[in-house]
Amino acid sequence: MNSYLDILPLIILTAGGLVVLCAGAFLPRRPPWLLFGLSLLTTLAAGAAALLVTPSSSDYLGMLDLGGYAQFFTVLLLAVTLLTLLFLYRYSKDRGFAGDELYALMIFAAVGMVLVAAAEDWLIFFLGLELLSLSLYVLIAIRRGEAVGQEAGIKYFIMGAVASGILTFGLALIYAATGTLAIKASLAGLTQAASLPLYGLALLLILVGIGFKISLVPFHLWTPDVYEGAPAPITAFLSAGSKVALFAVFIRIALNLAAPAWEVAWPLLWFLAALTMAVGNITAFYQTRVKRLLAYSSVAHMGYLLMALVAVKQGSLPALLFYLAVYAVMDLGAFGMLGALSEVQGDLDELEDFQGLGYSHHWRSGVFGFCLLSLVGLPPAAGFLAKLILFWAVIKAGFVVLAVVGIITAIVSIYYYFKIFLELYMHPAKREVQIPAADPASSLAGLLIAFLILWLGIFPTPLLSVIEHVSGFFLG
Amino acid sequence: MDLNFLLLVIVFLPVFAGLVALFTGHIPRLCRWVSLILSIIELSLIILLFFLDLKPVAGPTGTWLMAVDYPWLTGLGARFSLGLDGLSLMLIWLTAFVNIICILISWRTITMKVGSFYFFLLFLEGCLMGLFLATDLLVFYLIWEIQLIPMFFLVGIWGHHNRIYASIKFMLFSFGGSLFMLIALVALYTLHGQQTGEYTFALYQLTQTHLSPVVEGFLYAAFLLAFAIKTPLVPVHTWLPDVHTEAPTAGSVDLAGILLKTGFYALFRFAFPLFPGAAEASMPLLVALGLVGMFYAGWIALAQTDIKRLVAYSSIGHMGLMIIALGVWNVMAMSGSFLQLINHGISTSALFVMVGMLDERLDSRQFSDMGGLWKKMPVFGGFFLFFALSALGLPGLNNFVGEILILIGTFQVQPVVGILAFVGVLLTVIYILTMVQKCLFGEALEERRVWDVDLHEILILVVLAVPVVLIGLHPGPILRLFESSLQHVMFHAPLLAQGLGG
Repeated sequence: MNSYLDILPLIILTAGGLVVLCAGAFLPRRPPWLLFGLSLLTTLAAGAAALLVTPSSSDYLGMLDLGGYAQFFTVLLLAVTLLTLLFLYRYSKDRGFAGDELYALMIFAAVGMVLVAAAEDWLIFFLGLELLSLSLYVLIAIRRGEAVGQEAGIKYFIMGAVASGILTFGLALIYAATGTLAIKASLAGLTQAASLPLYGLALLLILVGIGFKISLVPFHLWTPDVYEGAPAPITAFLSAGSKVALFAVFIRIALNLAAPAWEVAWPLLWFLAALTMAVGNITAFYQTRVKRLLAYSSVAHMGYLLMALVAVKQGSLPALLFYLAVYAVMDLGAFGMLGALSEVQGDLDELEDFQGLGYSHHWRSGVFGFCLLSLVGLPPAAGFLAKLILFWAVIKAGFVVLAVVGIITAIVSIYYYFKIFLELYMHPAKREVQIPAADPASSLAGLLIAFLILWLGIFPTPLLSVIEHVSGFFLG
Repeated sequence: MDLNFLLLVIVFLPVFAGLVALFTGHIPRLCRWVSLILSIIELSLIILLFFLDLKPVAGPTGTWLMAVDYPWLTGLGARFSLGLDGLSLMLIWLTAFVNIICILISWRTITMKVGSFYFFLLFLEGCLMGLFLATDLLVFYLIWEIQLIPMFFLVGIWGHHNRIYASIKFMLFSFGGSLFMLIALVALYTLHGQQTGEYTFALYQLTQTHLSPVVEGFLYAAFLLAFAIKTPLVPVHTWLPDVHTEAPTAGSVDLAGILLKTGFYALFRFAFPLFPGAAEASMPLLVALGLVGMFYAGWIALAQTDIKRLVAYSSIGHMGLMIIALGVWNVMAMSGSFLQLINHGISTSALFVMVGMLDERLDSRQFSDMGGLWKKMPVFGGFFLFFALSALGLPGLNNFVGEILILIGTFQVQPVVGILAFVGVLLTVIYILTMVQKCLFGEALEERRVWDVDLHEILILVVLAVPVVLIGLHPGPILRLFESSLQHVMFHAPLLAQGLGG
């Protein structure tokens, strides 16, 4: 019998979001830190609940996974939310959008992400995804005075709505073909052989829907525009949080997909992975704006992850989970620090804007640079070990060609990351940029991220053993 | 008493010193003194090792004079293990020594971003210490990659006019080469794991992997490419002259003095024991590449108008000779080439230091702006001639001992190669003497205000001159140190040892 304690993190988050909204509505003369403090507290409490409460059974009414896998992602996603909140505090205050809607939507988006990652039922998955997406549509366009942000919001909304429509259609078809909405049961096999085309179509539509959200090539075209238009900490949240949550459910689908369908699916995923890595890295090569460059870099990282997903049935799950954790931290750090380095009028974007920042703002540039180093995959940053373990898992599973494609595109990627280094450290500043002084919250976030990247890059054994444990249970 | 922990101190002390330098950077004077004092402590620790009378001890990671071994990534089977033998002892000594020289020559020339400069310099030293001591392939690879970062910034921030091009070229060449090594490394690790069921990166265990000749050839080729770029061997040497020309003096000294040695060292320490069959088959290729390097470098050096480029090409020539020694695989030639690693490190560093001094005075490195300097700067001229003579192998100075051992050893096994290498050495004499002539003698084209070396600079040059004379006159103790390393290879790779008859 399930108790309400099992879904305590979700209850805390939802209640916290409502409290933030109420505080915004009924306390017009509140101290400026109140909403921030409340949402921080909510996230911390939810994280503590996720870590400490032992679930009474392995799932919640067949709807939500309560096992280690869901727990791992819940903690990871709440950590992402927490760090984003730290980055957002001063950023939103300086730019005048630190209202209750910002903090409430952040928390609701976190609820959505946790639901997506833990869903065992297509309906819950859809519910979580819509909650996440609706929050993000508003968050992206939250700077109301700015045309770029509005454009990005509308673009994400229209494309996202279409993708949701396609996904819904896929879910409807899968229900029609199998007669169940439970993810595991519906993927386990076909009840009637006659509905095979229907089943295949349903899976394809779901793939398109998820592929859009995690920006796989060729569904990635919205990525650079939206990343560029959204406020930098929101971009960080979008890039690190929502993609990790969607990938969690993607892994769940791939692992549960039974043999005949998987035999057709993996070559398709193989092809998409190679395409995503190649297009992401090569397009990033030609970018002159940093946010677009990082957007394509995140596309490329989705390609690396998809590459490991192809090998997921041959034991690459631990490598995938480790890479997802490292990716979340380093990508969040890159966009978050970009936000911390930005002027009030608009985020730094052109490569030239970064000239000489390495000396005028050495701490923030240092952390930003360290995140980039990790994205390249150079030691001692965590990106190196994560890539090593990922590529090793793929090679061990026998997908040598795919791994070689990945490594070649990774070599290409060095060049564009180093373009940013050149601007940061090796060109004198051409114009004076008015960057606000560092604030404690984002400095704390930067420090935490730098520490995590270094720690995971040098001594990841504790996290690796947790992952080993989690994936062992998840695979049964 | 168990002194093995000293290895950890040797690796991490420079990194710690670098952090201290970074945080004292706002007071440049303090930062310089702190860096110097900590570097001297590091050097004294290493010199202490010479007097410990260490004996080879067999341990879980092989037979080493000193070794440490700690669990690191238990899931992957990677351990943090370091091992010291005669060759690595000499190389870490060289690293610490050259680093002190780098700190001293940057004392007055580096005035911008002092803290970061000393941080990168000391961090690089720490990386190199780890590189020369690592006995776990993952640790080795990790450090092999990390060391690119400080060098990239040293060239890119404090370099000369075209520094960005040079630093990117350096990065792309090195990183591209080493990624192929990474693939080979992972393949070897996987094959070993599949054969024995034990996944490990330990050098000692991986040498016992059974490989088919074809696979072995491919894996060896990937390692060789990475190390050949670093050494550098012709035709993958093109990054070196550019980087040398653009690097600040300390960067050039570090690069020529130590970084080039890492390629040779890694070839000997890792590639040869791991792939003995392929290594044996590649020996004629190594000899050929070494000879081509010597002649090509000599030919190009003669045509240089920039003195720093000339010294850079002379490095390629010298490294070529050492690679020949590795390729003929004879005990005498091998110990000669080990000694040459040290000698070249000292002599070429000294030449780069002096070229840096010239650049400060003339604001040019072109031969056309030089000439007649002997009259104006007699002390400088004397030292320059001394180090030039050391570089071309004058008897009584350090290079002579190494070169003569290599030539005799080569002649014993492959007389034709020996003769050709001898001609190559003669070529070195020609271009170095030409350099001295163009620089010191002849008529000055125009009147320039130059000043002779002052006490600070004389101190640096004397420190450099001491080992030149000492090794030249009494190389015995160092050569004895190398014996254990050579036996080490015999112990590791019986196939190679058969060739090691001498």
